[in-house]
Amino acid sequence: MSEAMLAAFRHDAHKFAGESHDNAPETFCGVSVNRTVPMGADSDAGALSRPQQRQTQTVPTHHDHSRLSLLTGEPVANVEQAPRETIRELLAVGSVSTAHERWLASDVAALFNESVYHPYTSLKYHTLLVAALLDNYRDGHDFADCRLVVDPGGVVVPCRTVFEGSRFALRIDADDHDCPSARLGSRPWQSWASVWNRLPAHPLKTDRETFDMVLDANLRRIGAWSTALQYIEDFEGWDATPSEPWE
Amino acid sequence: MTLIQQVHWELEMDYIGHPYCVSGNAILHALGQRLSHDVHCHLNASHGVFVPGQFGRFSDEHSQTGVRPYLGSSLPDVEAYDDLFLMRQASHSWLLDSRPRDALNTHDIRLQSGHPAIAHETITGKPEGRRKQQQTTKWYVTAYLHADRDGVLPLDEDILMGIQFGGKRNYGYGSMRLKDTQVVDVASLDYSQLEDGEAFILELVTPFVLESEYPNAHEQDVPWWWDADRSGLRKREEKLLGRGNVYRLQTVDHGQVVAYLGDRPVETAKSGIFRVGTHSKYGFGELRVKPVAPRP
Repeated sequence: MSEAMLAAFRHDAHKFAGESHDNAPETFCGVSVNRTVPMGADSDAGALSRPQQRQTQTVPTHHDHSRLSLLTGEPVANVEQAPRETIRELLAVGSVSTAHERWLASDVAALFNESVYHPYTSLKYHTLLVAALLDNYRDGHDFADCRLVVDPGGVVVPCRTVFEGSRFALRIDADDHDCPSARLGSRPWQSWASVWNRLPAHPLKTDRETFDMVLDANLRRIGAWSTALQYIEDFEGWDATPSEPWE
Repeated sequence: MTLIQQVHWELEMDYIGHPYCVSGNAILHALGQRLSHDVHCHLNASHGVFVPGQFGRFSDEHSQTGVRPYLGSSLPDVEAYDDLFLMRQASHSWLLDSRPRDALNTHDIRLQSGHPAIAHETITGKPEGRRKQQQTTKWYVTAYLHADRDGVLPLDEDILMGIQFGGKRNYGYGSMRLKDTQVVDVASLDYSQLEDGEAFILELVTPFVLESEYPNAHEQDVPWWWDADRSGLRKREEKLLGRGNVYRLQTVDHGQVVAYLGDRPVETAKSGIFRVGTHSKYGFGELRVKPVAPRP
């Protein structure tokens, strides 16, 4: 049964090598990769971050799988130099929960975008969204049953946590276990700002903390889910000295 | 007194201040230095929403159709109620999918003396050696004024031009130039989308004030015509600057949606433009009424 979940974590292995899906090899380091994810979880997660009609190059000067940072506007790294051993540890692991933990903590997966046409998206968070949706679907939940749930920091639900930061975690789940949550809606679209806006509580100190307010203000402007989750991670790691609130 | 004056300012310098919007209070304060007290005291200002000067497409709810170059850099014609709200929501759904919409719609943040400043332009497509291919998107602030006395509006363009908002103004931060302004008569708009609707939701375009430290401001519960109580809604603290003091406000945070329990959606829509609740003069309590499919 864990094969389907492992397929979710391995379905975009070809993007690490810069290969198209059509030319993708079937194995990587002895494990099966680049297989179709069951139950439509990949296309649903893709629709959360990208338009589904004809794909066009949204940044004409950028043609590869290196992710562009929303913080700097620059490529985060030269992906050709991404350490192959670290990628192997993401893909070739045989335990579903270990794979999930590694993807949640991965820096290398955050170097890549999920589509060369949409270079601000994140392969790391796209893959975590695919896994979370698939895990819910396998439990009998439809997309319309799923919610964005805000968990306290340190709480990780296997396969369903899609973001883990130092202060809070975010999960896709049909049951919020009395944590703040909002429905994803009836169908997948680039709905990040809409869902974030409908949460009954935000995990940021937006009353007084200047940098949290800036982060929140920008999160309300982003549509793509993988871009937004990656932005929270990047913003947390941003080397900025917090200042006093404005008067 | 059914007129509003829409104003579209272009950022000429980075802005250091409230990152969600330029508050109506800040707009009124800036205008107050250019107007007689007799005129200024009758003026009300909405919050100013940040808008990227980008290409865009009108969605079905608007009276215009199609793609417009630089839709965000000027004020489109307003014929129907929904046209008022084209640029009032930070997610700016009119941006084109064929462009990097999230990168164009998020603020570049630059640190100025430890303060995050919102950049006055966004540059995309800038790998080394490709400078000629980079694209610059200017940022705008869009707001509207109304008066509770006839004869105040419209304000002359020379009053609206060359204005400054936010902190460190002595250094030039927050400088804006007037890009566009137009007067709309709210009474003459087309409200047929609401007249034909059966069920409605309310979008909180700006925060609704529950409590205020301002002298003689009373605590307010959410209106009875919201299908929500305050405990189930997200709160956020805001500040109001006045009389040399900083007053803290507890608000229902903007961006949330509640079901509408009233039976006069057009009247509610009109009062939502002129805003409801405490400190509505300064931009708080702006609401949008939207028709939805009735609940089964």
